[in-house]
Amino acid sequence: MKVTDDSGRRIKVWELVLRYTLLLAVLALTVGPFLWQLSTSLKGPTENIYTSPPQFLPGEPTLHNYERVADTIPVWDYALNSVKVATANVVTNCVGAALAGYALARLRYRGRRAATLAFILAMLVPVEGIIIAQFTTMRDLGLNNTLIAVVLPGCIGAMNVLLMRNAFLNLPYEIEEAAFVDGANVWQRFTRIALPSVKGTLAVVAIFAFMGAWDDFLWPLIVLSDPSKFTLTIGLNYLHGTFANDERLVAAGTVIAVAPLIALFACLQRYFFRGVGEGAVKG
Amino acid sequence: MATASRVRRQLPVSPWLFAAPGLLVIGAFVLYPFVSTLINAFTDRRTLIEGEFVGLANFRELLHDDMFWIGLRNSTLYVLGVVPALVVLPLLLALLVQKNIPGIAFFRSAFYTPVVASIVVVGLIWVWLLDERGLVNAVLETIGVGRVGFLSDQWLLLLSAMAVTVWKGLGYYMIIYLAALANVPRELHEAAAVDGAGAVRRFLTVTVPAVRSTMVLVGALSSVAAFKVFSEVYLMAGPSGGPAGEDTTLVMLVQRTGTGLTGRVGYASAISVVVFVITVALMLLVLRADRRSET
Amino acid sequence: MPVSRRKLAAALAVCVVLPLSACGSGDDGGSSDASGKIEGDITFQTWNLRANFKDYFEGLIADFEKKHPGTHVKWVDQPAEGYADKISADAAGGTLPDVVNVSPDLVAPLAKAGLALDLDKDAGQYRKEYLDGAWASHQIPGMSGTYAFPWYLNTGPLFYNKSLFEKAGLPADQPPTTYDELFEDALTIAEKTDGKVATLANVPTVEDFGRYGVPLMNQEGTGFAFNDPKGVELLTKYKELYDAKALDPQALTATPESSGKKFLTEAVAMNPGSALDLGNFKKQAPNLYKNIGITDQITSTGHVNMYVMGVMVNSQTKRKPAAIAFAHYVTDAQRQMSFAKKVAIFPSTAGSLDDPYFTEEDGTDETRVRVAAAKSLKNAVNYTPVLFSEQMKTELRNEVAKALQGKESPKEALDNAVKACDRLLQQQG
Repeated sequence: MKVTDDSGRRIKVWELVLRYTLLLAVLALTVGPFLWQLSTSLKGPTENIYTSPPQFLPGEPTLHNYERVADTIPVWDYALNSVKVATANVVTNCVGAALAGYALARLRYRGRRAATLAFILAMLVPVEGIIIAQFTTMRDLGLNNTLIAVVLPGCIGAMNVLLMRNAFLNLPYEIEEAAFVDGANVWQRFTRIALPSVKGTLAVVAIFAFMGAWDDFLWPLIVLSDPSKFTLTIGLNYLHGTFANDERLVAAGTVIAVAPLIALFACLQRYFFRGVGEGAVKG
Repeated sequence: MATASRVRRQLPVSPWLFAAPGLLVIGAFVLYPFVSTLINAFTDRRTLIEGEFVGLANFRELLHDDMFWIGLRNSTLYVLGVVPALVVLPLLLALLVQKNIPGIAFFRSAFYTPVVASIVVVGLIWVWLLDERGLVNAVLETIGVGRVGFLSDQWLLLLSAMAVTVWKGLGYYMIIYLAALANVPRELHEAAAVDGAGAVRRFLTVTVPAVRSTMVLVGALSSVAAFKVFSEVYLMAGPSGGPAGEDTTLVMLVQRTGTGLTGRVGYASAISVVVFVITVALMLLVLRADRRSET
Repeated sequence: MPVSRRKLAAALAVCVVLPLSACGSGDDGGSSDASGKIEGDITFQTWNLRANFKDYFEGLIADFEKKHPGTHVKWVDQPAEGYADKISADAAGGTLPDVVNVSPDLVAPLAKAGLALDLDKDAGQYRKEYLDGAWASHQIPGMSGTYAFPWYLNTGPLFYNKSLFEKAGLPADQPPTTYDELFEDALTIAEKTDGKVATLANVPTVEDFGRYGVPLMNQEGTGFAFNDPKGVELLTKYKELYDAKALDPQALTATPESSGKKFLTEAVAMNPGSALDLGNFKKQAPNLYKNIGITDQITSTGHVNMYVMGVMVNSQTKRKPAAIAFAHYVTDAQRQMSFAKKVAIFPSTAGSLDDPYFTEEDGTDETRVRVAAAKSLKNAVNYTPVLFSEQMKTELRNEVAKALQGKESPKEALDNAVKACDRLLQQQG
């Protein structure tokens, strides 16, 4: 088999070997810890998980620990809530950040610099210090203990707005100018020309938004009271608080928390990486 | 497209309408709460007790608070330790996965998994790995190095937390670099190769200048994130911040003093304000260094 | 496991001696408030109990609603982590549930902010149903009144690893019973194993100082006093252990969870625990379980340490009679007894500990631990002062660490800790 690079040139064998060696080394480093966790979660109750030297593969693989997780917390209900919250967060962030990013990058109006500054400052605020103020605001809006309240504070992230702004800034002006001459209004230029060109960045924003919502713990905990509305991270915390010493069960819980994200990402990755390349249209 | 739009020439869409949802959200849920933090910084407010105005007393107290200086030291060290690694390593990684060789899509996604996992999960995994009897120490012992107290020594703890931050950040910044690298015209590399430049020289003379602005962006983003570090150190060193609290970072101090039913909201707010001012300064510094090197 | 280790570590209360003499001398003057019509919707919040006791609480609530038609109880349960943050946000935002599961340290600030109902005033008629000491555990120095119904109590033995004792040449059936013996055995084990096996995994906390016989606060409850010679003596001893690696080198960063894990992996020879842990050992570390030794908590005072949980009524509840009735219902003798039979905790109601369940052995380890614990609860003390906040714990922990590292002398460290805690106490207002 002949392996060629993008420009059709043949890659030397030694270079290929070197590349794959490096790739495998990094792979071991990035994925290894997750596999260790997976292996721990599959080990049965009779298997000693503290052996040294470590036992990498479970002796008698079992799904028992996953059953116990499902017995302890309503995993599916919590996962459904997490999916709802994360999906909503993706939609609002993609729409809101694209709109705001476009306004900051392309539209001329007074106060544009101030608006940009507002987003930059928002990115710098240390979140740990403002959580109670956020909660009281939410209560004043009568939204506490709803899934909407979980989504709202992060539904248009400042960081995402700035990412979109940069993506739009990198687009060449000429195309939009041509459309403008053709009589396209702002909205048409945005939806038909600008937006399709930044699909890559949108994919990045979508994944960030999904992760952010899926992984958040403290805010959902504070704003939700009703157990039927809890998200998966809160459920995970039940596991950790209840079975802190049972490494297998905690491992099973972490696998449940991570697996959907990895699956989702694996499905989207082709689009994601192609998009990342496309999104950075030659400026 | 052109024919359709000629009919409705200009919709009355104000630019503000585009920015409004975003501004509203960050205004209501980030900036407004932060303004109340600013005000609280000049009061002695506690979680359940309304405070009184105390002027600069909180800031004066900061100057004599050993823990504040420890926090400032650690947050600064964190920036110094993490940022260079996160500017350089992901770039090298991006170069490694850029070339389309068979199976590369798998490697790209695999390198991204640590980013996808929640920080709590990452914390659980690494505490379990770096434990005195964990996997890493078991390996170190078999190769004769002996066990290392990653999670008990003040400096090793900070280093371990930094390593985890870098580990989790690699894939994230790799993506940003991949996007930037896609912009580097291939002809540049080819010209350099024809000139007989080796891989290292090509990297320094072609790649680095081409992605310089991205490096600045990564530098700015990672330094702000590093200065505000909380989760990694909190999860690995524990809520009280390692032995004798020596691994406490500034944001951990905000959390520790300001939360709970007996939290000193006023004092914690003052620390928050300091963190905010320093991150703004850090951002400006990076951007200015960028402008200077540009000219 | 309702009383997670984290929660045990978080639980605090006033110094209280629990005499088992039934019927205290509570005043019988019930207030009219509590005897109003019991009706309406109330919310009941527990702390990490749903995972294991869903059926118990759903049954309990159904029974209550049947007994008092027209009431409806909504049950919410919160995970172990972040409980104080959750309550803080609710308290600050005015959304505290009507009936809340609390520990004494959580009650104190809520009571000071006027958010906890004074039960002496509104539910004094129930006082005699509880052990005097338990009832007093939710009283706050400097305030009159009692701010939560006592709920379950917990205490436990000291577990030790017989095979590690034997390896160090110590008799496996003669565990240490005094502090001197403990320190001596710990040093022997460390010496014989070249510092590979530690005996203790945790630095001393305020409750350890209490158990060692150190006065924790002054008589008036206005300042801390654990920097007295006795306290310095204990810390000096710990420093000696630390230097000899008889106190685990990772102790400075240990959490109750991590030290439990160390005992499980046989890296540490002793660990405090409860009857609950036995099942854990059996399941997760069968090797350890074969070698498990059980002995009494070591104290210089003759009083073991216990943890107290309480059930508080929100003073701003709109359904005061129903809230009080429900809080009492959850904590009454019948309910506590059936809860205790589900899990290894102990009822705080008068006379319950005399039940055969807590006095008769059947030969199993579980029962042996339970009977011994119930017996020791008769004069147990909740050493941790009710006013000792999370921030104070951190101050003490950090100063203790400095002393162990040799950066400060034990005396300096404790002086500093007392100074910092006193200042925090004043700021609590």
